[in-house]
Amino acid sequence: MGDRPESVSVEEHEQLRRDFAALTEQFEAADGVLSAIGRSAGDPETVLSTIVESARRLCRSQAAFLYLLEDGVYRLNTSTGVGEEAIRFIAEHPMAVGRETLIGRVGLDRRTQQIPDVLTDPDYGAFDLQRIGGYRTTMGAPMLLDDEVVGALNVWRSEVKPFDEREMSIVTAFAGQAAMAVNGVKLVQQLEARGAELAKRVGELEALRDVGEAVSSSLDVDRVLSTVAMHAVKLSGTDGGSIMEYAERDRSFRVRSVYRTQPDVVESLRSIRIDLDETLVGRAARERRPIVVTDLSRTELDPHLRILHDAGWRSLVAVPMLREDQIVGSLIVRRKRTGDFTEETVDLLETFASQSALALLNAQLFQELKEQSAELELASRHKSEFLASMSHELRTPLNAVLGFSEVLLEGMFGEINERQEEYLRDIHGSGKHLLELLNEVLDLSKVEAGRMELEYTSFDLGALLGGAVSMLRERATLHGIELVVEVEEGVGQVYADELRLKQVLLNLITNAVKFTGDGGSVTVRAVRDGSDIDITVTDTGIGVPEADRERIFESFQQGGRGGSREEGTGLGLTLSRRIVELLGGHMWLETEVGRGSTFGFSIPARERQAAATSEDGGPLPVGGEVVVIEDDRPSLDLFRAYLSRAALQVTTARDGQSGLAAVRRTRPDAVLLDIRLPGIDGWAVLKALKEEEETRDIPVIVVSIVDERTRGVAMGAAAYLVKPVGRDALLAALAGVGVPVPAHSGPSTEAK
Amino acid sequence: MNPSRILVVEDNPKNLKLVRDVLTYSGYEVIEATTGEDGVRLAHESSPDLILMDLQLPGIDGAEALRQIREADEIQIPVVAVTAFAMNDDRERAFASGFDGYVEKPISVRALPQQVRDFLRLRGTA
Repeated sequence: MGDRPESVSVEEHEQLRRDFAALTEQFEAADGVLSAIGRSAGDPETVLSTIVESARRLCRSQAAFLYLLEDGVYRLNTSTGVGEEAIRFIAEHPMAVGRETLIGRVGLDRRTQQIPDVLTDPDYGAFDLQRIGGYRTTMGAPMLLDDEVVGALNVWRSEVKPFDEREMSIVTAFAGQAAMAVNGVKLVQQLEARGAELAKRVGELEALRDVGEAVSSSLDVDRVLSTVAMHAVKLSGTDGGSIMEYAERDRSFRVRSVYRTQPDVVESLRSIRIDLDETLVGRAARERRPIVVTDLSRTELDPHLRILHDAGWRSLVAVPMLREDQIVGSLIVRRKRTGDFTEETVDLLETFASQSALALLNAQLFQELKEQSAELELASRHKSEFLASMSHELRTPLNAVLGFSEVLLEGMFGEINERQEEYLRDIHGSGKHLLELLNEVLDLSKVEAGRMELEYTSFDLGALLGGAVSMLRERATLHGIELVVEVEEGVGQVYADELRLKQVLLNLITNAVKFTGDGGSVTVRAVRDGSDIDITVTDTGIGVPEADRERIFESFQQGGRGGSREEGTGLGLTLSRRIVELLGGHMWLETEVGRGSTFGFSIPARERQAAATSEDGGPLPVGGEVVVIEDDRPSLDLFRAYLSRAALQVTTARDGQSGLAAVRRTRPDAVLLDIRLPGIDGWAVLKALKEEEETRDIPVIVVSIVDERTRGVAMGAAAYLVKPVGRDALLAALAGVGVPVPAHSGPSTEAK
Repeated sequence: MNPSRILVVEDNPKNLKLVRDVLTYSGYEVIEATTGEDGVRLAHESSPDLILMDLQLPGIDGAEALRQIREADEIQIPVVAVTAFAMNDDRERAFASGFDGYVEKPISVRALPQQVRDFLRLRGTA
């Protein structure tokens, strides 16, 4: 046997074996720590307890501790191998930097060190802990992170047995690992805090968006306010809240919306008036800043605060709601416990209050508008009802005035002398004037209420102008005024409300005659202007001064046109302009003081123009005239459409009585007569027409739903049609009884 | 031939007098009522040939009076509404209530006898 390797002694061999085992163990422990760190990145507690447990074991000590530096002292974070009493004692006595404890020394010197025997160390001072823990040798290493001490790792032995260098280096290395793990925790905590902050911001933004939506989707004040109150309470993490609305007229607030508050308290809050000058809420508003009450039981209580205090509320913030420095209301959030509110919370509430102020203001504005328009609507309805009843009340006495003067003028009860007749005519004329005024007031109110219905028919405009002028010819002649009608070729038929158009024309021509001096002239002209027809009434009168040109279209304004021979109603122009607008046109005035005026208006030419033009574009001969007596609106419209398109002139009536009157008045070329009519029926109308001298020869075509042809013919009907009646059958029947039908290609006679 | 008898139901005394004078002058016999109730009673008692009925009456109005006249028995005489209403639908309302015709106020002294003649003549031909 050689003495080289074999020369190793048994003791040496044993030492090497132990060293190897220790290294292996140390390696395994370090590996365990590392893999614990790797496994538990999100769970630093496991990492720290692995480190503490490994340090205790590798250093062959009874106990191990990990302290973290917080607020300048070392607080126990993790421990192993020590009883509860010691843990409690350490937890209650965090260690300061200094020479009295090992941890204090480690923190002071920033290096790994030990106290071989605390009982003999001259500077050691933590004997209370030593008595409880029973240790003698203690060793520790600082946890360094970027040169900063963040904590310490510490191991104890209950006997006096100093740690060797290897053990000190293990603890040093483990302290480094622990520092990194703690750093990870801090990073995670920071991330979490940052995440929480972000979540909070998102919450705030969502709340503001909700309020914004409440404002834009609902202008209901109460809905907006309860949304605001709810979000304010939730965001500030308080227990309840309320919103008050400020009323400038009595300088006070009233509770409008309440969130998470006892119902009886809500009732009390709503019942009180919160004065601007004498309450805390008022003071916050006056000073334009939030006021925090940290303890309601130590505050002077105004009536509002008294209610809250008695209901168990203990702290609150009152935030004024302002808009452009104007007080709109107040936002209050409160808690059941005492305490301050963070600056952040108050800032947030301020932002919220200013957003909400706008919402409240908008909602208030909308509410006011709604109330105003309801009032207006009511007033307008009252006006219409008033006019209707006034019309009735005035017509009743007018009936007697007009009637009795007519009775006397007719000479029913004997002859009257000239003077009496003159005065009776004055009475009758004034009565007529009043009636006209009444009718115009009613017409105007109908137009304003959108209740004027137009009856569209097709008619010859030239004939209408001629008719209107002839009604005033007598009066004009009396004053030597020349009346001229000029109708441009191609104007011909128009499609409009004939009666209403005549009303406008009469008004304009009457005015023109009225304001034209003796010997002057009035010209009524109709010309085609693109798709419109322009009708003008030109006089050689006194003209309208500049200042009055708009005013004369207003009610009861006759302008500065002195020298009028007679009074007017003062409503004619206003009404005329409104009727023209209803007919789809407009009215204008051209005038020169001393030279005369032209009042003009346009109406749309409408479809009729095309239909009334023959294929070579020339104007058609004017067709025959037909009275249609038919109560069913759709049938009437259909007949009118058929006839108008065939260039026939149509007059319509919707009951027997007015049908009879229309026939007597217009003496048409034919009558289309329905049988089932309200009041006097078709048979009675037919009988009357055939009995009367003037109407006997007018052919009547019965258009009925029932076939009673024999009876019809026996009573004198010229033709009998059973509904439904087509266009061709209708026009053929009309042509058959001798009506000129210009725009019909079917069988027709040339003329009567 | 006896003159036709006309029942005039009108609450305003002046207007009643006017209608009476005009119709009497034209050769009719006139019976007067100033309320709807009287009108209904006289329609039965005096067997008129035509009734002129104001629509606005104290107590029961013209439409209700007409309903009672028609309901009570087989009186088929023409009943004509006299209306001072001036709104669009007055005419249609009168027909809807079952009147045979209407006369608008203010009445025309010249036209009234002719209108009455029409109603008397035309009724009963259907």
